[in-house]
This record gives sequence, structure tokens and C-alpha cells, in this order.
Amino acid sequence: MRLEHIVFHNLRRRKGRAIFLVIGLMIGVATVVTLLSLTDALSMHAQHELENFGANIIVTPRSEQLNLNYGGVQLGGVNLVPHEIEQVSLVNIDSIPNRRNVATIGPKVLGTVEMQGQRVMMMGVDPVAEFKLKRWWSIAGRPVEQGAELLVGDALVKRFGLAIGDTLQINGQDFTVVGLLAKTGSQDDQLLISPLSTAQSVLGKEGKISMVEIAALCHDCPVNDMVNQLQQVLPETDVQAVQQVVKTRMHALDQFRLFAWGVAVTVVIIGALLVFVTMMGAISERTREIGIFRAIGYRRRHVLHLVLMEAAIVSVLAGVMGYLAGVLATLAALPLLDGGKAVWHLNPALAVAAVAAALVVGLVAALQPALRASRLEPSEALRAL
Amino acid sequence: MKLINLQEVTKRYVTGADCVTALDKLTLSVKEGTFLGVMGPSGSGKSTLLSVLGALTRPTSGTVTIDDIDVYGLATEKQADFRREYLGFIFQSHNLIPYLSALENVMLPLAVSKFSSAEKRRRASAMLARVGLPDRMLHLPQQLSGGEQERVAIARALVNNPPLLLADEPTGSLDTATSRQVMELLAELHRSGQTIVMVTHNRDNLEWFDRTVYLRDGLVEKDTGKSDCSLSQAM
Repeated sequence: MRLEHIVFHNLRRRKGRAIFLVIGLMIGVATVVTLLSLTDALSMHAQHELENFGANIIVTPRSEQLNLNYGGVQLGGVNLVPHEIEQVSLVNIDSIPNRRNVATIGPKVLGTVEMQGQRVMMMGVDPVAEFKLKRWWSIAGRPVEQGAELLVGDALVKRFGLAIGDTLQINGQDFTVVGLLAKTGSQDDQLLISPLSTAQSVLGKEGKISMVEIAALCHDCPVNDMVNQLQQVLPETDVQAVQQVVKTRMHALDQFRLFAWGVAVTVVIIGALLVFVTMMGAISERTREIGIFRAIGYRRRHVLHLVLMEAAIVSVLAGVMGYLAGVLATLAALPLLDGGKAVWHLNPALAVAAVAAALVVGLVAALQPALRASRLEPSEALRAL
Repeated sequence: MKLINLQEVTKRYVTGADCVTALDKLTLSVKEGTFLGVMGPSGSGKSTLLSVLGALTRPTSGTVTIDDIDVYGLATEKQADFRREYLGFIFQSHNLIPYLSALENVMLPLAVSKFSSAEKRRRASAMLARVGLPDRMLHLPQQLSGGEQERVAIARALVNNPPLLLADEPTGSLDTATSRQVMELLAELHRSGQTIVMVTHNRDNLEWFDRTVYLRDGLVEKDTGKSDCSLSQAM
């Protein structure tokens, strides 16, 4: 027989209290695991969505002059673009250390064309990348895919009375309107949008790119680092981070995480109090028993060992059960949140952390009751003597 | 050879404004192999004497030596070791652990020893057999009669082969027949050389003791064994 034997027998005898303690701690652990798992899954999903939702890095040709344009309003001055970006140079983006964090690269070529006697702006885009970057675009018809297809901005649709299926002659080439872009309130309303290679050909800018929009965001890749990396591989350009977008995204994710941790800490404190109160009660209940142990020669540390081991067994059991319950709760809750798009991923670190946290909370909360038990004077504990 | 030596031991309890002297400069020596009975009315200091002898209650003054060891000169944890190695306790109400079987209760003092599990079990089984309970080993205390519980308590007190057995009213809650059986068992242990100090109210037990000390108000009122040992009352 060893001390562990006494602990197991005591737990078995006082099943009710042990079960109450396990369930109490288990609910705490399950709540924390559920919150953190949900936060994790939703954050990953939100991050994935955000990464593809608008660009946060803009690459433009290097200009020697300041841009005197704000919100589309020209304030005078010269705003000439000295040269375009060579399209071939974009492959250098693949060589930056944080390449895996680049979600979307949207190259564009811009220029003016003549349509029905008026000069309008044409933008050539990589259709797949552009429609990923502009998730907010609402299109009647379909996006452009290839060849002489046009997506027409709302202002141009109204000015020229255009409809899907219309044929337009631009710089002597026939284009078919395949989509109408709903009003965006931005400069996009003034654009004729066509596939990149088509626009390059029409504008006489084969192999040239006017600007590149890049979507990139993740936990461990500060955008400023990526800007520096891009600047190094694209030396003839100006690379700018759209700080507002970056900070807003990070703030939203941080707030979400902060809330989850706040609730988690509260639950952990409640769990610790539960263990503390229950163990204090148990010690009072077992005063006489502890007196017997001390009288027959158990050292203080043996009594400490008995109480802490009991707390450890209950805590580990609650940690394991709480983790499993938390995972089940997460699996049950995820389909109800975020349109069921977020997915649970096994996180071994969370499993280990849940059990370890339950153990630490249990032991810390039981320490004071255990010390109190170990300091009981045997003569006081044993009224019989 | 003297096993127990108390020198001018005083124990006072302070409760609020009240100060109660439970032992008053008691000097007492007990030879090895003695079966000492301690008698006296309630509040006479019997239980305090047993508690002081058991390294459970530090006296206010005086020295207690057992087997030439100054018990209260030992550090707290060493006192625990001393209790385990030198003393066996038989409590008034058995004080068995209710969720452990008779065998496990007897093994309790061995749980913190370095013996192997098999050796612990062998020793506890042998001790239960010695007190006449070879077939009740796996029973829980509530499944045993009062006399059987007392026997388990005696087996637990003896499993470490302690030089000194301290018993506090071991027959206090037993009927006459069972009390006699328990006293016969203690007498048998005494005959085999065990030193026993037993506190009792029951005058029927006097016949079993080879020496009896009567206490009153923390003082020795009478000692039947002055010829065998030294006893003095420092006033």
C-alpha cells in the first residue's frame, strides 16, 4: 500500500464530492476550450476572408513627384507616371521570404481609350485575382474572362446607355459588354474593365503594368516587413502598405481574441475558487482522519502529498474531460456561427494546455487547504487524545 | 531498563482568560516491559499524559525522554518519524479509516515506509492473524463488530513493532465480554515483552496491570509500582 492507494480509496468513498469537483472544473475547462477553439476557428476563417478582402499593399511605378490627388479630386500639379512596371518583374514577388503570406496579386494596366467620341479610362486586370480582391463588386451579367470582353462601370453604363451584349468599338477593335458593374461610389464606376492582355494590346502597353494591388495578412508576418521585402525585389517601384486596412483587421481579430481570453480567465478563477472551497470543506471534514495519519507517524509532507495528489487526480480528469467536452461543444457550435464556413482544426497544444491549466489551477487552489491540513496539530485534530 | 522518563512535566492549557493545569510538574519513570494503567477522574490529566508521551502535545515545561530520546527536542518532522518508529496508538474510538479494509488500515503506518508492497501486506496479515482476525482482512470497519475493530486498531498500533504501545480507553465502548477479550490480548502482548501505557476509567481492568498510577488535578495521587520504579511529585 502506498499513499496513492489512500487517495484513490478516499476519492471512491467520497464519490459525490469528487464528481462535483470534476464536473465543476470540467465545465470551466470545457468553456475555455470551447471559447478558444471557436476563437481560433473563427479567427482563421475571418483572417482568410480578410486576406482576400481588398488589397493592403499597393505597388506603383516609382515617381519623382508628389501625388496631388485626394479621393479622386485632382488638386493641380503634374502627376505624370514616368514609366510602367515591367510585368516580368512581378515573378520576383515569388522570391520574398513571406511569399506564402501573399494571398492575391492583382496586376493592372491603366490607360485612356476613345469610345463613341469620348475619352474614357480602361483598366486591364487579371480577372481571377481582381474579383478576389474586389469581393464587394456586384455584377449584372458575368465578369470578364478573356479576349475582347468588357465589364462596364456604373457611370459609363448610364452615360452611354449600355446593356449586356452590346458591342463597342474601342481603338478600332470590337468589344462585347459581358457585365455591368453596380455603383461602387469609387473610381471603379468610371472604368471599362477588360482582361489584362487585351487591355495591354489596346493601350499599346504589352508587357507593362501600371500598378499592382496585393492582399496579404497573417498573424506572424508584419505587413511592414513584407513591404520591405517587396521593395527589395521590385526596386523600380514604390511599395506602400495601406496601414488603415491592416490595423483595422488586426484590431478586429485582437478584440475577438481579447474577449475570449477575458472570459477564459474569469472561468479559470471561478474554477479555482470552486476547488479551493471544496478542498477546504474536505479538509474540515477529514480533520480527524488527518489527525490519525499524523499520530501514526505521517510527516507533514505526507499529508500535503495526500491532499495535493487528490487535487491533481481530479484536475487531470477534469482537464481531459473538459477538453473533450469543449471540442464537442465547438463542433456543435461552429455550424451555427459564421454561416458554417469556419472549420475546427485539431490543436494538440490546446489539448495539452487545457489539461496542464486544469492541473495547475487545481494544485494552486488546493495548496492552501493542503498546507492547512499538513499544519494541523495531531492533538488538536484528534479530540480523543 | 527505563523506557519512559518524564522530568517535571507541566502542561497548561490557556483558553481565553482561563488557564488549566493538566499536568503539574509530573516526574515519572516506566521500565521496559511494564503494563502501566493510568486511572483517575475526568480532567485529572490522564489523556494529556498520554498525549505528551505520544509526542502529540508539547509540554509547557519539563522533559520527556523515551528510549533515551528527548522527544520534544526533535524537529516536527522527526517527531512524526519518532511516532512511527517508537509508538503505537490505540485510540478511544478505534479511529479506523472507514474507506479502507481491515488489512489496509493495519498497513497505514507502513504506507510511508520503504518496505515492498508484498512485505507490507505480509506484515499486516501476520499482525491481523496475531490479534485473531485472519479471516476478516478484507472487511471494512463498519462490517466489523466493536471488538473486532478494536483488534484491528491494536494490530495497526503494533505493525511497526514499536517499543511502546499507548492505549486510550481501548475498552471504553465495548461490552464486558468483548472488553475482556481485548484486555486478554493486551495482556498477551505484555507477556511477550511489550511495554503498554493504558488510560482507563474501568476499575475491572486493574487486574491486568502490573503497575497503576492514579492522577488527580494533574498530580499523581497514588502509584502502585513505587518499588519497581521511581516516582516523585515535585511540589
